Amino acid sequence: MASPPSTLRRRWWHRDPGDVGGNPAGRAARRFVSSEHVGGWAFAAPAAVIIVLFGAVPIVWSIVLSFEQASFSPGGKFVGLANYREMVHDPTVRQAIAHTLEYTALFVPLTMIVGMLLAVAMNRKIRFISLYRTAAYVTMAVSTINEALIFLWLFDPSYGIVNYVASLFGLPQQPFLNSPSQALGVIVVMTVWGWTGFAVIIYLAALQGIPQTVLDAAAMDGARPWATFRRITVPMLSPASLFLAVWLTINALQLFDEVYVSTQGGPVGATTVIVYYIYEQGFQYFNIGYASAIALILLIATLVVTAVQFRAGRRYTHYRS
Amino acid sequence: MRKFVSPLLAVGLTVLSLTACGTNSTTGSAGGKVTLQMWEGYTGVEQTTFSHLVKEYEAANPNVTISVLPVNNDDTLTKVQTALAGGVPPDIAYLYGSWAPNVAEIPQVVDLSSVVKRPGVNWDDFFVGERDVATVGNKVIGIPALVDNLAVVYNKTLFAAAHLTPPSPDWTWNDFAADAQKLTIASKKQFGTAYVTPESEDAVWHWEVLLWEAGGSLLTAGNKAAAFDSAAGLRTLEMLRTMAVVQHSMYLDPSDNEYANLFNSGKIGMLVTGPWDLSAFPNVHYGVQIMPSFPGSAGGHQTISGPDNWVIFNNGASHVSAAENFLLWLTAPAQVRSFSLATGDLPTRASVAAAAGFDQEMNKELPGVSTFIENLANVKQARPQIPTYPKISTTLANMVVSVLVGSSQPQAALTTAANQVNQILNAANAGG
Repeated sequence: MASPPSTLRRRWWHRDPGDVGGNPAGRAARRFVSSEHVGGWAFAAPAAVIIVLFGAVPIVWSIVLSFEQASFSPGGKFVGLANYREMVHDPTVRQAIAHTLEYTALFVPLTMIVGMLLAVAMNRKIRFISLYRTAAYVTMAVSTINEALIFLWLFDPSYGIVNYVASLFGLPQQPFLNSPSQALGVIVVMTVWGWTGFAVIIYLAALQGIPQTVLDAAAMDGARPWATFRRITVPMLSPASLFLAVWLTINALQLFDEVYVSTQGGPVGATTVIVYYIYEQGFQYFNIGYASAIALILLIATLVVTAVQFRAGRRYTHYRS
Repeated sequence: MRKFVSPLLAVGLTVLSLTACGTNSTTGSAGGKVTLQMWEGYTGVEQTTFSHLVKEYEAANPNVTISVLPVNNDDTLTKVQTALAGGVPPDIAYLYGSWAPNVAEIPQVVDLSSVVKRPGVNWDDFFVGERDVATVGNKVIGIPALVDNLAVVYNKTLFAAAHLTPPSPDWTWNDFAADAQKLTIASKKQFGTAYVTPESEDAVWHWEVLLWEAGGSLLTAGNKAAAFDSAAGLRTLEMLRTMAVVQHSMYLDPSDNEYANLFNSGKIGMLVTGPWDLSAFPNVHYGVQIMPSFPGSAGGHQTISGPDNWVIFNNGASHVSAAENFLLWLTAPAQVRSFSLATGDLPTRASVAAAAGFDQEMNKELPGVSTFIENLANVKQARPQIPTYPKISTTLANMVVSVLVGSSQPQAALTTAANQVNQILNAANAGG
């Protein structure tokens, strides 16, 4: 990199040899106070302080805690890497990671596919279209607690509507949340419903950006709707898809609320995902040190996954110049 | 000049907002006056009754002000721990009894063992189940704030419709299971009984009382190893399996909050539950009976109690002594009596429960509650008072629920859970 011009490197604390005016320190201070730099930082300071206080400090503190055998009270015992070693031998951590991956692998693509299909279906001029769009987004406005309670009732094994409808078609009754093999699936359905509205809005916005000329050109070349969708719409939506993939994955790795409200990790540990397990360790077993260690690994894993997604995204994403 | 003022303003605002977070934490004892910070989770009628008691005490003790902070009971320990880390714990907090072993490890918790021996306190007047939970090792970590227990609430209308005689005090689990089967009508989606299946303590303590009644115990003496992988343990799980998996007479509630609505809608015949649920059953004609026993078991009729405690944290001698005096007054027979009568909560003291006419007065407010009061005499054991209990509880929840949902057989579930519990206990012993 070329060396920047010297004026850019000059700072107020650099005594300018040519500056022979009276009281240079006072002048420098005045220049400091009136510089744009300070003004900008002063305006950013309240937000910066809050971020440091409630973001950075807790992260650093939890890193410290992860090397301690600690409860909340001050004075934890330093145990080195013991918490990390315990993690390797903890079968529940392995299960929780498996459940989290299984959940993410189902939740992210399903939400994106359903979101994209709904967005394409709504991207046209028909009557009451804004009503439909609002309706799709309403699921985002429903609080997680309500969402979980609604689905608890829908999927209730004995009294739920889902089993009732299934019985009308002569289908066998399912235990859903009372089944270790089905419970995670119900959580997937619950959260896909909750997040689809978000995907729809992102895709609708991206669809507005596809130039009509490209679509017209394809139509003139005789492309059928399916080919247009596959060859033009999907590739042109790829920046939005990358954003959604990253955003939804981060959220999927942090799944907690729905599990906390509906199954509390059960039945038989079937819905114990990683953040729920961190909660159990930290706030039910009071192993704050161990919980911090798992949380830190999750943070690193999330960063790695996001980095990989961005890297892969750069290769496969089509940005219009 | 403009440029000069705005940054200063921004900095000033920041400082202002930061100091705002820090105020209100100093409550001194200047001039002999003490302000006690008290955290509790009462709502509704409990809250209003408690406020009256606080006002009454403040009027009689002008030197003491009690500043009450409402906190969700589920979160109180977490909040207390955070406050401890910040160096400003409350003077008094309402804490669940199941936390007692963890609470005992907090250095700032005041040991009340000499306080409860003071003349006039009459510590033995508190039910044995409460004293057991308030005592950890040789420390008394709190004074009982609330007590409850489990009994069977049954729908009299459904019993009559099925031509069944209502449960009698000497009934057995065989009677219970047979009644449950007869009360089950699949076409009406009506179940004999219910059990909750989230992975929580709620699924566990309902089973622990069964284990005790069948003559088993959870851990060996001294809490060294699992003891529930026994004939008694097997008997309890097989009975649950019969009802849930074979006869389908047990509604499995994955939410832990629908069973009460269903009972109130006449869809469930019998519930094993506590007095706190009674007010949720206005639509059904219900009766209450003590827990059944296992035929031939020496365990007889028992129940399990989940008492909670008032815990004092050390904020200096004047605060501790003021807090002790207030709690001793709050938990004295007169206050226990008026609080119970106003709220329907069970009395924490035996003398209050035994007083002539008290039962009838309570029943007028909340029908059936007198059976729960009598049932306090059936509290014969307490859950193990060890810091690893929450972890053991998760293991036991998995064991019970795996049998209920039919994913494992009773003996296999017992063996697996016993191994896991032994591992937890060994790890805790090895770690000191």
